[in-house]
Amino acid sequence: MKLKSLLLVSGALLTGTAASAGGYQVTLAGQKNNGMGGVGVGLSLDQAAMFYNPGALAMVRERGVQVGVNATFARQAFVAEGGSTQRELRNSVVTPFNLYASFGPAEGKFRAGIAVYTPFGSTLKYADGWEGRTSLTEIELQSVYVQPTVSYAITDQISVGAGLTVLAYGAVNLQRDVPLPDSFGHIELDGEAERKVGFNAGIFFKPSEKFSLGINYRSKIDAEVKDGDVTFTGIDPNSVLASRFPNTKFSATLPLIATTSIGIGIMPTDKLTIGIDVNYAEWSEYKSLEFTFADPINGSNTSVSKRNYEDALTFRLGGQYKVTEGLTLRAGGAYDESPVRDGYVTPETPDANRVSGTIGASYAMGKFGVDFSTQFVSISKRSQTQSQLVANGTQDRVAGTYKTNIVIPGIGLNYSF
Amino acid sequence: MISKLFTKSAPFLALLGLALTGCQPDLEEDIKPSSGTADFSRYIAVGNSLTAGQADGGLYLEGQLNSYPNLLAQQFRSVGGGEFVQPLFTEAQRNGTGYLRLAGFTATGSPITAPVNTALALRAGATAARPLYTKFTEPINNLGVPGIRMADILSTTYGSVTGNPLFERITPDAQSNQTYLARVAASNPTFFTAWMGNNDVLGYATSGGASTAPASSLTSTTIFTANNNQLIDALTANGAKGLVATIPDVTNIPFFTTVGPSFRATLETPQPGLPNGVPGLVIQTGSAAGPASATTRKQIATADIRNASGVGRQLFTLTSSPFLGLLNQRTGRAWRYVYGQSGQPAAGFPLFLTAYGIDTLQTFGTSMGNPIPSAFVLDDAEQALVRTATTAFNNAMIAKATAKNLAVFDVNGFFARVATNGIVTNGVNNTTQFITGNLFSLDGVHLTPRGYSIVANEMIRAINQQYGASVPTLNSNEYPGVKFP
Repeated sequence: MKLKSLLLVSGALLTGTAASAGGYQVTLAGQKNNGMGGVGVGLSLDQAAMFYNPGALAMVRERGVQVGVNATFARQAFVAEGGSTQRELRNSVVTPFNLYASFGPAEGKFRAGIAVYTPFGSTLKYADGWEGRTSLTEIELQSVYVQPTVSYAITDQISVGAGLTVLAYGAVNLQRDVPLPDSFGHIELDGEAERKVGFNAGIFFKPSEKFSLGINYRSKIDAEVKDGDVTFTGIDPNSVLASRFPNTKFSATLPLIATTSIGIGIMPTDKLTIGIDVNYAEWSEYKSLEFTFADPINGSNTSVSKRNYEDALTFRLGGQYKVTEGLTLRAGGAYDESPVRDGYVTPETPDANRVSGTIGASYAMGKFGVDFSTQFVSISKRSQTQSQLVANGTQDRVAGTYKTNIVIPGIGLNYSF
Repeated sequence: MISKLFTKSAPFLALLGLALTGCQPDLEEDIKPSSGTADFSRYIAVGNSLTAGQADGGLYLEGQLNSYPNLLAQQFRSVGGGEFVQPLFTEAQRNGTGYLRLAGFTATGSPITAPVNTALALRAGATAARPLYTKFTEPINNLGVPGIRMADILSTTYGSVTGNPLFERITPDAQSNQTYLARVAASNPTFFTAWMGNNDVLGYATSGGASTAPASSLTSTTIFTANNNQLIDALTANGAKGLVATIPDVTNIPFFTTVGPSFRATLETPQPGLPNGVPGLVIQTGSAAGPASATTRKQIATADIRNASGVGRQLFTLTSSPFLGLLNQRTGRAWRYVYGQSGQPAAGFPLFLTAYGIDTLQTFGTSMGNPIPSAFVLDDAEQALVRTATTAFNNAMIAKATAKNLAVFDVNGFFARVATNGIVTNGVNNTTQFITGNLFSLDGVHLTPRGYSIVANEMIRAINQQYGASVPTLNSNEYPGVKFP
């Protein structure tokens, strides 16, 4: 498997924007699922089951490979508390990417496979000179999981599966402006995460042709950056202040949180499949974002910013209808609770409850198939006031109102052996 | 093949494009500015140096441009505000009265300031003792006059060449005996801000209670109340709406809080023969002449000097800073400086020393004969007088404003919170710390552009609340603190 070279080639692509799940989670792992509101835990649609529920992989008859890519177009409006200027993001497009390959005997009970996907990520570039510039000017958070997976059908009705989730690549680039008494400097924090390992396991139960049920658990991985680079720009080296802002190294840890999901599938006819999923994301792990600096920056070796996220649920509903032997159409939707409490909204995750609508289509020609999907995500309008920030001790961010919409078209290709 | 692919995918791309254009959220409906029940078409600002935009110990063009009335007028523009004229210095005379700049820091981190005295706005006939400035006699909206007290608003000589040079500057020659009150009454505003009264306590406080000059005395509450009532009556005579700002407790400004803590730390450092450091000092108190006695001298314990955490009572002025290092030396330098400030002929210095019972051959600051001058210390008794006057003046201003249904910006309450907690503006910390706190300029009394923008925002909040308006606030971080070299 030329995984390494594949990673190198696609490394720049493998990322997400605050996409189809709360916080900095990205759940765009399979094009068919994307078209159906992101359901998949209780279904056995294709190789993307390795992400949604490894237990279902043994029930996926076809062995093969599939690749998928999405493009996220995020558009945001922000108005500071009391302000009158609407700020909009500098447009950026990011392309979460996934790859699956599964193997196994044609009629056997085993399936093995490898999955590559991007479960967390965020890319946002704020307008120049916006009110929250000292909190954030831009962020690029990337993660790539590589997951070798095995699945076994214990009976015709029950299968189990598990994969080792390897944080093969994780990177953060966070930039903000530094308030000086009479001007602004700029700080860039850039680092790569250590390799870390977790797991993804699931059980799939299909008691009849018309009903299936799945349970999935993906464990937490702490993405740990050591020896990241701290670089200052825009500070006059002759200024008496310059010595307070030395280029140095930083370390930080970001939890890539655990998720527990339960899903059901209902197949009233041969042609119609309906999925319902509930995800429980353990965001309460994300208490604070702490940077530790090798040399003091403006007199301090640490920077701590409160997060205090809370666990959050996502509800998903989607279906597909096989119109002809080749054509399948899909639709779905999701409601996603924000893990971010009132008064804790930060520019790097300008989060609120989300409502998504999705559409999708597939066309199969023999062993070859192509999938399209598009998600329309509306992140609710959300305001926080300066008094809330004062009350919570979260004045390192900015008071105001955020509203974000995201459109995420995607395309996938698959080939069955 | 390629073109076929294009024709096939064109409708999809078009649909996508449509979705993306419609995707941009719009919050502008939420932020429509409005004037509420107020009419901002003719805004007049009444007040003192804070209103004029004074900073860094002087009035100069950049400070004027960042005055809170100018910032307010800029915000009023989106809700029907009209033209706002300030008596700006010209570009050629941009340094106005002259001011201080930050030149650097000593090895121990103390700031070094340097005077800026080029491009001044002096006119012919000006002397060091009596500056006269290039006149600006066009009609103006910003009537802020540095130095003016509530007690001065009825004076008929205040705009003359023997009065206040900065009021004289904006007073047309033909009406040189016009009082400040009359000038205000003739301004005919539809909306006003009035922030007067600071100098009715500040002059007394910054002189350490050491002077008998009128400008350095506390105004009587009776006069203050009567004059304030007249001022507000004049402003509201034609039904104008407006805002009244109270005056802060000046004992929390860097002018009084910067020097004491480090001086106390120096005194507490153990020395040979003094394992616990210097236990206490002798200061001169009050303004009365006379030999060393219980009424003209005061012993203060080192532990009674207010430190950075606010423990202790005695406050040292920013002006004392160059002289405190002379402690225990047999020197008259501090007295020479104090005498020099009075503007009296140098020949009178020995008589001055005799009158106040000063013997410069004794040790400075530790002997009854050579105490620390009263002008350098605002002691606990003087602070009590300042606080009593501040409260009485604020009560008078709030009562009148309430009776006239005006908006009130409670500067005293606001500043007390800022002095304790600082204030964060869009993620940036600001405190009352001298130089590094961003709020106070190099004189330790007047504000930086950042400080003035925060004042403007607080006023906007009070105005919006009182008049149901939504005047947009400023992003204070776009306004700098102290300029660093």
